[in-house]
Amino acid sequence: MFEKYLKLTAYDAVFLLEATGTSLWITLVSISIGTVIGVVMGILRNSRNKLVSAIPLIYIEPLRNSPLITQLFLVYYGLPVVSGIVLDSNTAAIITLSLNTGAFFSVLMHNSIKAIPGAQWEAGLALGHSRLSVFINFIVPQVMRLLVPQAITLYINQLQCSSFVSLIGLIDLTKAGNILNLRTMRPFLIWTIMFAIYFIISYPLSQLAKKLEQKVAFSY
Amino acid sequence: MPMIEVKNIRKSFGSNTVFDDFSVNFDQSGVTVILGPSGTGKSTLLRCINGLETIDAGDILVDSLSVKEKRNLREIRLACGMVFQQTTLFPHLDVLENLVISPVKIQKMDRKEAVDKARALLDKVGLGGREHSKHNELSGGEQQRIAIARAMMMNPRALLLDEITSALDPEMTAEVLRILEKLAGDGVVMLAVTHEISFAQRVADRVIFLEKGNLVADASVDDFFSGIKSNNERIARFLQNISQG
Repeated sequence: MFEKYLKLTAYDAVFLLEATGTSLWITLVSISIGTVIGVVMGILRNSRNKLVSAIPLIYIEPLRNSPLITQLFLVYYGLPVVSGIVLDSNTAAIITLSLNTGAFFSVLMHNSIKAIPGAQWEAGLALGHSRLSVFINFIVPQVMRLLVPQAITLYINQLQCSSFVSLIGLIDLTKAGNILNLRTMRPFLIWTIMFAIYFIISYPLSQLAKKLEQKVAFSY
Repeated sequence: MPMIEVKNIRKSFGSNTVFDDFSVNFDQSGVTVILGPSGTGKSTLLRCINGLETIDAGDILVDSLSVKEKRNLREIRLACGMVFQQTTLFPHLDVLENLVISPVKIQKMDRKEAVDKARALLDKVGLGGREHSKHNELSGGEQQRIAIARAMMMNPRALLLDEITSALDPEMTAEVLRILEKLAGDGVVMLAVTHEISFAQRVADRVIFLEKGNLVADASVDDFFSGIKSNNERIARFLQNISQG
């Protein structure tokens, strides 16, 4: 009975592999762009100039406080109406996920910099370093050790959130699962496979984050 | 000519004025202990000298360089090494790197030379062989001794010591004070904010007493602990309170 139920064609396997590639591609590109945005915004948030530190909030707060799916629909369906620019689903997905990742990453960056005691800055300055030199030599390495495990957790979350792109017509892993399910009418098999693929990608990353977290557990 | 000239400075934090028209000079040699009740401006004075706090008016000159000019700060900070009350070792670096990184990056010292110098200084502070320890493997006293060695790596002409034993237990305090005595014996100029009266009596050449941002006493250590102490009721009370813990 199970043998029949577990039967999938080679075409299905290739189809799933391609869809996995799409999910990974969209996630990788958007977390890369989002990380760059997040680093810049996170550093601006830590500016001693109150106006400069407030500016990123205009970008961060709306994206942190609205569902990703509404952001995606706004970019894909809403933006062409007001701007006349029609984005293909791939571009819309990457723009939305990048901006969303950037908003969350900038909060992580801001909090990680803030977590470094002011005494570390002063110790570096008192040794004759410039503020830039203190930042590069002493603050960034400490920020990285706090930031990296949290960033990995964010990336895993973004991989899972990338499944929303199936709603604007992209054939990612979730969309492929839906198509295969409709074709084969084997929901348990198909969604177990989907579950397993997401898990196989995410689990090692979450373990890596856990290990890094233990490694960076230093006190001041 | 004094090494450090504090000239008519004013310094406020919001509505709290710490110094108003305060002046004092520090010579090119000797150990000066700065005493006074909490919140009286002792630490603020050291931080202003090092440029970690800006002054509202007046000026501070270190080797005739004004702390008000940003371009002078590096030279001033290299001339006046500073050790803080709280531990400030860089936690991502081991002991050796804590000592070596700044002379290599700032003074462009050859790395091998810096490592040799760091090892010699670690021996001096009684921590030879601990080069590869991380800060959380060290006691508070050991961390402060390394912080002293780290400041000495930059060849400062003076050490500014901001209550560096106040967070330590008596045994660790004794360890740190022994190192300071050794350095004072080597002729290192020190400005030390401390409540360690026995250290002041043994090592200091000069004692200044601050209260509410004013210089209440400025005397040689002998004069301070004999004459002024008995003639000034406020100082006598302060010293009595300290000795009672």
